[in-house]
Amino acid sequence: MPVNHSTENGVAVLSVAGSLGADETQHLEEAVLGLLDKGETRLLFDFSDLDYINSSGLRILVLAYQRLKKNSGKVAICGVKDYIREVFEVSGYDKIFSMYAARGEASKF
Amino acid sequence: MTHDSISFRMTNKQKCFQIFRPQVEAFGEKHALSPKQVFTLTLVLDELITNILSYGYGDLDEHPIDVTLAIDGTRLSLEISDDARPFNILTAPEPELEVPLEDRTRQIGGMGVHIVKKLMHCIEYKREDGRNIVRLEKDITDDNACTA
Repeated sequence: MPVNHSTENGVAVLSVAGSLGADETQHLEEAVLGLLDKGETRLLFDFSDLDYINSSGLRILVLAYQRLKKNSGKVAICGVKDYIREVFEVSGYDKIFSMYAARGEASKF
Repeated sequence: MTHDSISFRMTNKQKCFQIFRPQVEAFGEKHALSPKQVFTLTLVLDELITNILSYGYGDLDEHPIDVTLAIDGTRLSLEISDDARPFNILTAPEPELEVPLEDRTRQIGGMGVHIVKKLMHCIEYKREDGRNIVRLEKDITDDNACTA
């Protein structure tokens, strides 16, 4: 699961490719915590190249949300594939995270 | 009408995800299932087996986990049989969906089970001869009436 980090217009973007399941969450958690420790307050997860996520992957998004909420920060997600979107809907997380179809739309969240 | 099934055995000492994922994908390809249906079956197996591996055993022994994946017309079904501690998915606590995310204390453990219950239908559980047997269905056409 490659994770790439970039900064665009003051937003820290984490692009996650491949699978985000039990074996991969620790790597992403470390990347997220690293950004939070650096003081980033706006995190955008770009899932355009993500083909799998489970509840342990979702937990990392919740972790980021819970940490950033205290500092008036924000978490947004873009590029979720159609067939994965249902898991955000049934978990209710589509109401909690701002979700955008493409990274361009999400740059000013 | 299509009738087909595959069964396979894993153990808690194996990397189960890497075993069942290709099995589900091959089954999906054989029966022209959509990416969403393959994702759902993979995710449901993942959540249930992760629970078994994380909380199911009180010893360090090797334990079998049996999986059957079937298609009967438009009806997909999944059955998991294991000798872990009794775990009835139907009575497992729900996550605190009405509590704001930042205030939840137990959303993490319960979310996987909640997702399974939302994505699948006609869920049956029984404890038989020291084994948990859970059976779940999903209709390809989203007709959720149960056959049993």
